[in-house]
Amino acid sequence: MKSETLLTKSETRSSAKNNLELIMKNNLIFAVTLMLLTSMSAKAQCNSEGLSNECIPKLTTGFNFLKSYKIDGVGGTKDRVEYSYVFTKGTQYLINICAPSQPTDGVLVTLYDSQRNKVASSKVNDQFVSAIAFPCNATGIYYIQYTFDGSTSYCAGSALGFKR
Amino acid sequence: MKKVLFAVLTLLIASCSGNKKTDEQAFLENLKADNAPLSAESSAVISEILQQIPSPLEIAVLLKQSGKKFNPDLLNSPDNLSRYNSNYKKALNLGIYGADLGYTNIYEQSKDGLNYIEAIKRLADGLSIGQFFDIETIGRLATNSKNLDSLLLMTTRNFNDINSYLQSQGRSNLSVLLLTGGWLEALHITTGVAANDPNNAVLQEKIGEQKVILNNIVSLLGFYKDSDQNIAGLLNDMENLKRIYDKVNITYTYKESTFEIVNGVMVIKDNSTTTIDITRDTVDEIRNTINEIRNKVIS
Repeated sequence: MKSETLLTKSETRSSAKNNLELIMKNNLIFAVTLMLLTSMSAKAQCNSEGLSNECIPKLTTGFNFLKSYKIDGVGGTKDRVEYSYVFTKGTQYLINICAPSQPTDGVLVTLYDSQRNKVASSKVNDQFVSAIAFPCNATGIYYIQYTFDGSTSYCAGSALGFKR
Repeated sequence: MKKVLFAVLTLLIASCSGNKKTDEQAFLENLKADNAPLSAESSAVISEILQQIPSPLEIAVLLKQSGKKFNPDLLNSPDNLSRYNSNYKKALNLGIYGADLGYTNIYEQSKDGLNYIEAIKRLADGLSIGQFFDIETIGRLATNSKNLDSLLLMTTRNFNDINSYLQSQGRSNLSVLLLTGGWLEALHITTGVAANDPNNAVLQEKIGEQKVILNNIVSLLGFYKDSDQNIAGLLNDMENLKRIYDKVNITYTYKESTFEIVNGVMVIKDNSTTTIDITRDTVDEIRNTINEIRNKVIS
Protein backbone atom coordinates (compact mmCIF):
# COMPACT_ATOMS: atom_id res chain seq x y z
CA MET A 1 0.00 0.00 0.00
CA LYS A 2 2.83 2.28 0.99
CA SER A 3 4.80 1.44 -2.15
CA GLU A 4 1.65 1.98 -4.23
CA THR A 5 1.27 5.39 -2.67
CA LEU A 6 4.91 6.24 -3.43
CA LEU A 7 4.51 5.11 -7.01
CA THR A 8 1.42 7.24 -7.39
CA LYS A 9 3.28 10.25 -6.00
CA SER A 10 6.14 9.63 -8.44
CA GLU A 11 3.69 9.33 -11.29
CA THR A 12 1.95 12.48 -10.14
CA ARG A 13 5.28 14.34 -10.05
CA SER A 14 6.12 13.10 -13.55
CA SER A 15 2.70 14.07 -14.85
CA ALA A 16 2.97 17.53 -13.27
CA LYS A 17 6.41 17.97 -14.87
CA ASN A 18 4.96 17.01 -18.25
CA ASN A 19 2.08 19.42 -17.79
CA LEU A 20 4.48 22.20 -16.85
CA GLU A 21 6.60 21.52 -19.94
CA LEU A 22 3.46 21.52 -22.08
CA ILE A 23 2.28 24.81 -20.62
CA MET A 24 5.73 26.36 -21.14
CA LYS A 25 5.82 25.06 -24.72
CA ASN A 26 2.34 26.46 -25.39
CA ASN A 27 3.30 29.78 -23.83
CA LEU A 28 6.42 29.91 -25.99
CA ILE A 29 4.38 29.20 -29.14
CA PHE A 30 1.85 31.83 -28.07
CA ALA A 31 4.57 34.40 -27.42
CA VAL A 32 6.32 33.74 -30.74
CA THR A 33 2.97 33.91 -32.61
CA LEU A 34 2.12 37.16 -30.82
CA MET A 35 5.51 38.63 -31.72
CA LEU A 36 5.07 37.64 -35.36
CA LEU A 37 1.56 39.06 -35.51
CA THR A 38 2.67 42.29 -33.84
CA SER A 39 5.54 42.65 -36.26
CA MET A 40 3.25 41.96 -39.25
CA SER A 41 0.67 44.44 -37.98
CA ALA A 42 3.41 47.07 -37.48
CA LYS A 43 4.51 46.48 -41.06
CA ALA A 44 0.92 46.81 -42.29
CA GLN A 45 0.35 50.06 -40.37
CA CYS A 46 0.33 53.19 -42.46
CA ASN A 47 2.76 55.87 -41.36
CA SER A 48 0.94 58.60 -43.26
CA GLU A 49 2.11 61.24 -40.81
CA GLY A 50 5.75 60.35 -41.44
CA LEU A 51 5.15 60.40 -45.19
CA SER A 52 3.40 63.77 -45.06
CA ASN A 53 6.33 65.13 -43.04
CA GLU A 54 8.68 63.80 -45.73
CA CYS A 55 6.69 65.74 -48.31
CA ILE A 56 7.15 69.16 -46.68
CA PRO A 57 10.83 69.67 -47.60
CA LYS A 58 10.03 68.34 -51.09
CA LEU A 59 7.86 71.37 -51.85
CA THR A 60 9.54 73.13 -54.75
CA THR A 61 11.75 76.09 -53.84
CA GLY A 62 9.81 79.31 -53.46
CA PHE A 63 6.70 77.64 -52.09
CA ASN A 64 5.67 78.31 -48.49
CA PHE A 65 4.30 75.39 -46.53
CA LEU A 66 0.58 75.55 -45.70
CA LYS A 67 -0.74 72.10 -44.77
CA SER A 68 0.31 68.49 -44.57
CA TYR A 69 -2.21 65.77 -45.35
CA LYS A 70 -2.29 62.17 -44.17
CA ILE A 71 -3.50 59.64 -46.74
CA ASP A 72 -4.47 56.32 -45.16
CA GLY A 73 -6.64 53.99 -47.22
CA VAL A 74 -6.67 51.54 -44.28
CA GLY A 75 -5.28 48.70 -46.36
CA GLY A 76 -7.77 49.32 -49.17
CA THR A 77 -10.94 49.53 -47.09
CA LYS A 78 -11.22 53.27 -47.79
CA ASP A 79 -11.34 54.22 -51.45
CA ARG A 80 -10.66 57.95 -51.01
CA VAL A 81 -9.32 60.53 -48.58
CA GLU A 82 -10.48 64.09 -49.06
CA TYR A 83 -9.48 67.50 -47.75
CA SER A 84 -10.56 71.00 -48.75
CA TYR A 85 -9.04 74.47 -48.78
CA VAL A 86 -9.94 77.95 -50.00
CA PHE A 87 -7.64 78.74 -52.93
CA THR A 88 -7.41 82.37 -53.96
CA LYS A 89 -7.00 83.99 -57.33
CA GLY A 90 -3.47 85.11 -58.11
CA THR A 91 -1.82 82.55 -55.83
CA GLN A 92 -0.02 79.46 -57.09
CA TYR A 93 -0.44 76.26 -55.06
CA LEU A 94 1.65 73.11 -55.13
CA ILE A 95 0.39 69.71 -53.97
CA ASN A 96 2.84 66.83 -53.79
CA ILE A 97 2.54 63.16 -52.87
CA CYS A 98 5.03 60.98 -50.99
CA ALA A 99 4.51 57.21 -50.89
CA PRO A 100 6.51 54.26 -49.52
CA SER A 101 7.50 53.25 -53.07
CA GLN A 102 8.21 55.54 -55.99
CA PRO A 103 6.78 57.55 -57.51
CA THR A 104 3.37 57.53 -55.77
CA ASP A 105 2.53 53.81 -55.35
CA GLY A 106 -0.74 54.25 -57.25
CA VAL A 107 -1.90 57.18 -55.11
CA LEU A 108 -3.31 60.01 -57.17
CA VAL A 109 -4.65 63.43 -56.33
CA THR A 110 -7.63 64.98 -58.08
CA LEU A 111 -8.60 68.60 -57.60
CA TYR A 112 -12.26 69.63 -57.76
CA ASP A 113 -13.75 73.11 -57.58
CA SER A 114 -16.60 74.11 -55.24
CA GLN A 115 -19.15 72.81 -57.76
CA ARG A 116 -17.30 69.51 -57.98
CA ASN A 117 -16.01 70.15 -61.49
CA LYS A 118 -12.75 68.32 -62.07
CA VAL A 119 -9.87 70.78 -62.29
CA ALA A 120 -6.86 68.45 -62.41
CA SER A 121 -5.72 64.89 -61.84
CA SER A 122 -2.20 63.62 -61.23
CA LYS A 123 -2.67 60.56 -63.49
CA VAL A 124 -1.86 61.27 -67.11
CA ASN A 125 -1.64 58.59 -69.84
CA ASP A 126 -1.42 55.88 -67.17
CA GLN A 127 1.49 57.70 -65.53
CA PHE A 128 1.38 59.04 -61.99
CA VAL A 129 2.81 62.50 -61.41
CA SER A 130 4.00 63.23 -57.86
CA ALA A 131 3.30 66.98 -57.84
CA ILE A 132 0.68 69.37 -59.21
CA ALA A 133 1.22 73.12 -59.50
CA PHE A 134 -2.02 75.06 -59.63
CA PRO A 135 -1.91 78.79 -60.41
CA CYS A 136 -5.39 79.64 -59.18
CA ASN A 137 -7.48 81.95 -61.31
CA ALA A 138 -10.78 81.57 -59.47
CA THR A 139 -11.22 82.05 -55.72
CA GLY A 140 -13.28 79.42 -53.94
CA ILE A 141 -13.35 76.20 -51.97
CA TYR A 142 -11.42 73.40 -53.66
CA TYR A 143 -11.56 69.71 -52.80
CA ILE A 144 -8.26 67.83 -52.74
CA GLN A 145 -9.18 64.19 -53.20
CA TYR A 146 -6.69 61.30 -52.94
CA THR A 147 -7.63 57.93 -54.46
CA PHE A 148 -5.85 54.62 -55.02
CA ASP A 149 -5.24 53.08 -58.43
CA GLY A 150 -3.25 49.88 -58.20
CA SER A 151 -1.75 50.88 -54.90
CA THR A 152 -0.05 48.21 -52.79
CA SER A 153 0.24 50.12 -49.53
CA TYR A 154 -2.84 52.40 -49.71
CA CYS A 155 -0.69 54.77 -47.74
CA ALA A 156 0.90 58.11 -48.52
CA GLY A 157 1.44 61.66 -47.33
CA SER A 158 1.04 64.99 -49.04
CA ALA A 159 1.92 68.63 -48.53
CA LEU A 160 0.34 71.85 -49.78
CA GLY A 161 2.37 74.98 -50.38
CA PHE A 162 1.80 78.39 -51.95
CA LYS A 163 3.62 81.21 -53.62
CA ARG A 164 2.61 84.49 -55.23
CA MET B 1 18.43 53.71 8.12
CA LYS B 2 16.13 51.68 5.87
CA LYS B 3 13.10 53.26 7.56
CA VAL B 4 14.48 56.77 6.94
CA LEU B 5 15.16 55.94 3.27
CA PHE B 6 11.65 54.52 2.91
CA ALA B 7 10.11 57.63 4.49
CA VAL B 8 12.11 59.94 2.17
CA LEU B 9 11.11 57.94 -0.91
CA THR B 10 7.46 57.89 0.16
CA LEU B 11 7.54 61.68 0.62
CA LEU B 12 9.19 62.16 -2.77
CA ILE B 13 6.65 59.95 -4.55
CA ALA B 14 3.79 61.65 -2.72
CA SER B 15 5.08 65.10 -3.66
CA CYS B 16 5.59 64.09 -7.31
CA SER B 17 2.14 62.56 -7.60
CA GLY B 18 0.73 65.60 -5.81
CA ASN B 19 2.13 67.94 -8.48
CA LYS B 20 0.94 65.71 -11.27
CA LYS B 21 -2.54 65.67 -9.84
CA THR B 22 -2.55 69.46 -9.69
CA ASP B 23 -1.49 69.72 -13.33
CA GLU B 24 -4.06 67.16 -14.39
CA GLN B 25 -6.75 68.92 -12.39
CA ALA B 26 -5.84 72.25 -13.98
CA PHE B 27 -5.91 70.66 -17.42
CA LEU B 28 -9.27 69.00 -16.82
CA GLU B 29 -10.74 72.21 -15.42
CA ASN B 30 -9.51 74.03 -18.51
CA LEU B 31 -10.96 71.32 -20.70
CA LYS B 32 -14.30 71.43 -18.89
CA ALA B 33 -14.48 75.20 -19.24
CA ASP B 34 -13.79 75.01 -22.99
CA ASN B 35 -15.82 72.00 -23.86
CA ALA B 36 -19.13 72.48 -25.59
CA PRO B 37 -20.84 69.12 -26.18
CA LEU B 38 -21.30 68.53 -29.91
CA SER B 39 -22.55 65.60 -31.92
CA ALA B 40 -20.07 63.55 -33.95
CA GLU B 41 -21.67 64.94 -37.14
CA SER B 42 -21.22 68.54 -35.98
CA SER B 43 -17.61 67.86 -35.00
CA ALA B 44 -16.92 66.40 -38.44
CA VAL B 45 -18.47 69.42 -40.19
CA ILE B 46 -16.51 71.82 -37.96
CA SER B 47 -13.30 69.95 -38.68
CA GLU B 48 -13.96 70.10 -42.44
CA ILE B 49 -14.71 73.83 -42.45
CA LEU B 50 -11.75 74.63 -40.18
CA GLN B 51 -9.26 73.05 -42.57
CA GLN B 52 -10.48 75.30 -45.38
CA ILE B 53 -9.58 78.59 -43.70
CA PRO B 54 -6.51 79.98 -45.48
CA SER B 55 -3.37 80.99 -43.66
CA PRO B 56 -2.98 84.74 -42.88
CA LEU B 57 0.53 84.31 -44.27
CA GLU B 58 -0.91 84.34 -47.80
CA ILE B 59 -2.06 87.94 -47.36
CA ALA B 60 1.24 88.99 -45.76
CA VAL B 61 3.11 87.60 -48.79
CA LEU B 62 0.73 89.42 -51.16
CA LEU B 63 1.34 92.74 -49.37
CA LYS B 64 5.12 92.31 -49.34
CA GLN B 65 5.27 91.30 -52.99
CA SER B 66 3.05 94.17 -54.08
CA GLY B 67 5.64 96.53 -52.63
CA LYS B 68 3.73 97.68 -49.55
CA LYS B 69 5.88 98.86 -46.67
CA PHE B 70 5.84 97.26 -43.24
CA ASN B 71 3.38 99.09 -41.01
CA PRO B 72 3.59 98.11 -37.31
CA ASP B 73 0.77 100.54 -36.45
CA LEU B 74 -1.67 98.10 -38.02
CA LEU B 75 -0.73 95.34 -35.57
CA ASN B 76 -1.96 94.50 -32.08
CA SER B 77 0.78 95.46 -29.63
CA PRO B 78 2.19 92.58 -27.57
CA ASP B 79 1.90 95.00 -24.63
CA ASN B 80 -1.84 94.32 -24.65
CA LEU B 81 -1.20 90.74 -23.55
CA SER B 82 -2.15 91.34 -19.89
CA ARG B 83 -5.70 92.25 -20.97
CA TYR B 84 -6.46 88.73 -22.14
CA ASN B 85 -7.58 86.72 -19.14
CA SER B 86 -10.45 84.58 -20.41
CA ASN B 87 -9.96 81.58 -22.69
CA TYR B 88 -12.18 83.36 -25.24
CA LYS B 89 -9.88 86.39 -25.40
CA LYS B 90 -6.73 84.27 -25.20
CA ALA B 91 -7.73 82.10 -28.17
CA LEU B 92 -8.85 85.02 -30.36
CA ASN B 93 -5.74 87.04 -29.61
CA LEU B 94 -3.51 84.01 -30.09
CA GLY B 95 -4.86 83.99 -33.65
CA ILE B 96 -4.33 87.75 -33.95
CA TYR B 97 -0.77 87.60 -32.65
CA GLY B 98 -0.13 84.60 -34.92
CA ALA B 99 -1.15 86.67 -37.97
CA ASP B 100 0.98 89.58 -36.70
CA LEU B 101 3.95 87.24 -36.29
CA GLY B 102 3.49 86.00 -39.85
CA TYR B 103 3.39 89.61 -41.09
CA THR B 104 6.54 90.60 -39.14
CA ASN B 105 8.32 87.42 -40.29
CA ILE B 106 7.52 88.02 -43.96
CA TYR B 107 8.87 91.57 -43.62
CA GLU B 108 11.89 90.20 -41.69
CA GLN B 109 11.25 92.43 -38.68
CA SER B 110 12.96 90.13 -36.21
CA LYS B 111 12.82 92.50 -33.22
CA ASP B 112 9.04 92.85 -33.46
CA GLY B 113 8.78 89.15 -34.26
CA LEU B 114 10.51 88.17 -31.02
CA ASN B 115 7.99 90.20 -29.00
CA TYR B 116 5.13 88.42 -30.74
CA ILE B 117 6.73 85.02 -30.16
CA GLU B 118 6.94 85.77 -26.44
CA ALA B 119 3.30 86.93 -26.33
CA ILE B 120 2.16 83.87 -28.30
CA LYS B 121 3.98 81.51 -25.99
CA ARG B 122 2.37 83.08 -22.93
CA LEU B 123 -1.13 82.96 -24.42
CA ALA B 124 -0.58 79.37 -25.52
CA ASP B 125 0.63 78.43 -22.03
CA GLY B 126 -2.53 80.00 -20.64
CA LEU B 127 -4.57 77.68 -22.86
CA SER B 128 -2.47 74.60 -21.94
CA ILE B 129 -1.09 74.36 -25.49
CA GLY B 130 2.28 75.98 -24.86
CA GLN B 131 4.05 72.67 -25.49
CA PHE B 132 3.63 73.22 -29.23
CA PHE B 133 5.98 76.22 -29.26
CA ASP B 134 9.70 75.66 -28.97
CA ILE B 135 10.33 79.30 -28.15
CA GLU B 136 14.11 78.93 -28.05
CA THR B 137 14.35 77.48 -31.56
CA ILE B 138 11.81 79.93 -32.99
CA GLY B 139 13.62 82.82 -31.32
CA ARG B 140 16.97 81.66 -32.71
CA LEU B 141 15.54 81.32 -36.23
CA ALA B 142 13.90 84.75 -35.98
CA THR B 143 17.22 86.52 -35.36
CA ASN B 144 18.69 85.55 -38.72
CA SER B 145 16.97 86.46 -41.98
CA LYS B 146 18.66 83.47 -43.68
CA ASN B 147 16.40 81.26 -41.59
CA LEU B 148 13.16 82.82 -42.85
CA ASP B 149 11.94 79.68 -44.63
CA SER B 150 12.61 77.51 -41.57
CA LEU B 151 10.95 80.08 -39.32
CA LEU B 152 7.81 80.25 -41.46
CA LEU B 153 7.71 76.47 -41.71
CA MET B 154 8.09 75.97 -37.98
CA THR B 155 5.49 78.54 -36.94
CA THR B 156 2.97 77.29 -39.53
CA ARG B 157 3.48 73.71 -38.35
CA ASN B 158 3.07 74.75 -34.72
CA PHE B 159 -0.26 76.44 -35.43
CA ASN B 160 -1.42 73.46 -37.53
CA ASP B 161 -0.47 71.11 -34.68
CA ILE B 162 -2.36 73.26 -32.19
CA ASN B 163 -5.49 73.15 -34.32
CA SER B 164 -5.30 69.38 -34.71
CA TYR B 165 -4.66 68.95 -31.00
CA LEU B 166 -7.54 71.20 -29.93
CA GLN B 167 -9.93 69.30 -32.19
CA SER B 168 -8.71 65.94 -30.93
CA GLN B 169 -9.28 67.15 -27.36
CA GLY B 170 -12.85 68.28 -28.03
CA ARG B 171 -11.82 71.93 -27.79
CA SER B 172 -12.72 72.91 -31.34
CA ASN B 173 -14.34 76.10 -30.07
CA LEU B 174 -10.86 77.40 -29.24
CA SER B 175 -9.63 76.30 -32.66
CA VAL B 176 -12.51 78.25 -34.26
CA LEU B 177 -11.60 81.35 -32.23
CA LEU B 178 -7.92 81.01 -33.06
CA LEU B 179 -8.58 80.86 -36.80
CA THR B 180 -11.21 83.61 -36.58
CA GLY B 181 -8.66 85.86 -34.84
CA GLY B 182 -6.06 85.17 -37.52
CA TRP B 183 -8.51 85.89 -40.31
CA LEU B 184 -9.79 89.06 -38.62
CA GLU B 185 -6.26 90.42 -38.24
CA ALA B 186 -5.29 89.60 -41.82
CA LEU B 187 -8.40 91.40 -43.10
CA HIS B 188 -7.75 94.34 -40.77
CA ILE B 189 -4.19 94.67 -42.11
CA THR B 190 -5.41 94.41 -45.72
CA THR B 191 -8.14 97.02 -45.30
CA GLY B 192 -5.65 99.25 -43.44
CA VAL B 193 -3.16 99.03 -46.30
CA ALA B 194 -5.95 99.53 -48.87
CA ALA B 195 -7.06 102.74 -47.09
CA ASN B 196 -3.80 104.35 -48.21
CA ASP B 197 -4.12 102.97 -51.74
CA PRO B 198 -7.85 103.19 -52.54
CA ASN B 199 -7.42 102.57 -56.26
CA ASN B 200 -5.54 99.31 -55.84
CA ALA B 201 -7.80 96.80 -57.63
CA VAL B 202 -5.85 93.76 -56.38
CA LEU B 203 -6.35 94.77 -52.76
CA GLN B 204 -10.03 95.53 -53.32
CA GLU B 205 -10.46 92.11 -54.88
CA LYS B 206 -8.59 90.48 -52.02
CA ILE B 207 -10.94 92.18 -49.56
CA GLY B 208 -13.99 91.16 -51.62
CA GLU B 209 -13.04 87.49 -51.89
CA GLN B 210 -12.95 87.23 -48.09
CA LYS B 211 -16.72 86.78 -48.44
CA VAL B 212 -16.05 83.06 -49.02
CA ILE B 213 -14.13 82.73 -45.76
CA LEU B 214 -16.52 84.92 -43.78
CA ASN B 215 -19.35 82.54 -44.72
CA ASN B 216 -17.29 79.69 -43.27
CA ILE B 217 -16.55 81.62 -40.09
CA VAL B 218 -20.21 82.50 -39.57
CA SER B 219 -21.09 78.80 -40.00
CA LEU B 220 -18.42 77.77 -37.50
CA LEU B 221 -19.40 80.30 -34.83
CA GLY B 222 -23.04 79.24 -35.24
CA PHE B 223 -22.23 75.85 -33.69
CA TYR B 224 -21.39 77.50 -30.37
CA LYS B 225 -23.88 80.37 -30.17
CA ASP B 226 -26.16 78.56 -27.71
CA SER B 227 -23.41 77.31 -25.43
CA ASP B 228 -21.11 80.33 -25.29
CA GLN B 229 -22.34 83.91 -24.84
CA ASN B 230 -19.03 85.40 -25.97
CA ILE B 231 -19.16 83.47 -29.22
CA ALA B 232 -22.83 84.45 -29.66
CA GLY B 233 -21.77 88.10 -29.41
CA LEU B 234 -18.95 87.62 -31.88
CA LEU B 235 -21.31 85.83 -34.24
CA ASN B 236 -23.70 88.79 -34.07
CA ASP B 237 -20.83 91.11 -35.08
CA MET B 238 -19.79 88.79 -37.90
CA GLU B 239 -23.37 88.63 -39.16
CA ASN B 240 -23.37 92.43 -39.34
CA LEU B 241 -20.20 92.22 -41.39
CA LYS B 242 -21.80 89.55 -43.55
CA ARG B 243 -24.69 91.93 -44.34
CA ILE B 244 -22.14 94.36 -45.77
CA TYR B 245 -20.49 91.54 -47.70
CA ASP B 246 -23.88 90.71 -49.23
CA LYS B 247 -23.17 93.72 -51.49
CA VAL B 248 -20.09 91.94 -52.88
CA ASN B 249 -20.81 89.79 -55.92
CA ILE B 250 -18.52 86.91 -56.81
CA THR B 251 -19.22 85.39 -60.20
CA TYR B 252 -17.59 82.08 -60.99
CA THR B 253 -17.23 80.71 -64.51
CA TYR B 254 -15.95 77.18 -64.95
CA LYS B 255 -13.90 76.27 -67.96
CA GLU B 256 -11.95 73.05 -68.31
CA SER B 257 -8.30 73.42 -67.41
CA THR B 258 -5.30 72.37 -69.46
CA PHE B 259 -1.86 71.31 -68.31
CA GLU B 260 1.75 70.65 -69.23
CA ILE B 261 4.46 68.64 -67.48
CA VAL B 262 7.46 70.74 -66.46
CA ASN B 263 10.38 68.95 -64.76
CA GLY B 264 8.11 66.17 -63.53
CA VAL B 265 5.54 68.60 -62.12
CA MET B 266 2.10 68.88 -63.67
CA VAL B 267 1.50 72.61 -64.16
CA ILE B 268 -2.19 73.39 -64.54
CA LYS B 269 -3.52 76.24 -66.60
CA ASP B 270 -6.66 77.30 -64.79
CA ASN B 271 -9.13 78.53 -67.38
CA SER B 272 -11.91 79.15 -64.86
CA THR B 273 -12.41 82.68 -63.59
CA THR B 274 -13.98 84.63 -60.78
CA THR B 275 -14.96 88.24 -61.05
CA ILE B 276 -15.39 90.12 -57.81
CA ASP B 277 -17.61 93.18 -57.85
CA ILE B 278 -16.95 95.46 -54.90
CA THR B 279 -17.24 99.23 -54.65
CA ARG B 280 -14.93 101.58 -52.76
CA ASP B 281 -17.81 102.46 -50.44
CA THR B 282 -18.25 98.82 -49.55
CA VAL B 283 -14.51 98.49 -48.90
CA ASP B 284 -14.78 101.47 -46.51
CA GLU B 285 -17.78 99.93 -44.76
CA ILE B 286 -15.93 96.63 -44.38
CA ARG B 287 -12.87 98.41 -42.97
CA ASN B 288 -14.92 100.34 -40.41
CA THR B 289 -16.82 97.25 -39.28
CA ILE B 290 -13.67 95.13 -39.07
CA ASN B 291 -12.06 97.84 -36.93
CA GLU B 292 -15.05 97.88 -34.59
CA ILE B 293 -15.02 94.10 -34.17
CA ARG B 294 -11.26 93.99 -33.74
CA ASN B 295 -11.30 96.78 -31.15
CA LYS B 296 -13.71 94.73 -29.05
CA VAL B 297 -11.48 91.68 -29.38
CA ILE B 298 -8.13 93.29 -28.56
CA SER B 299 -9.36 95.60 -25.77
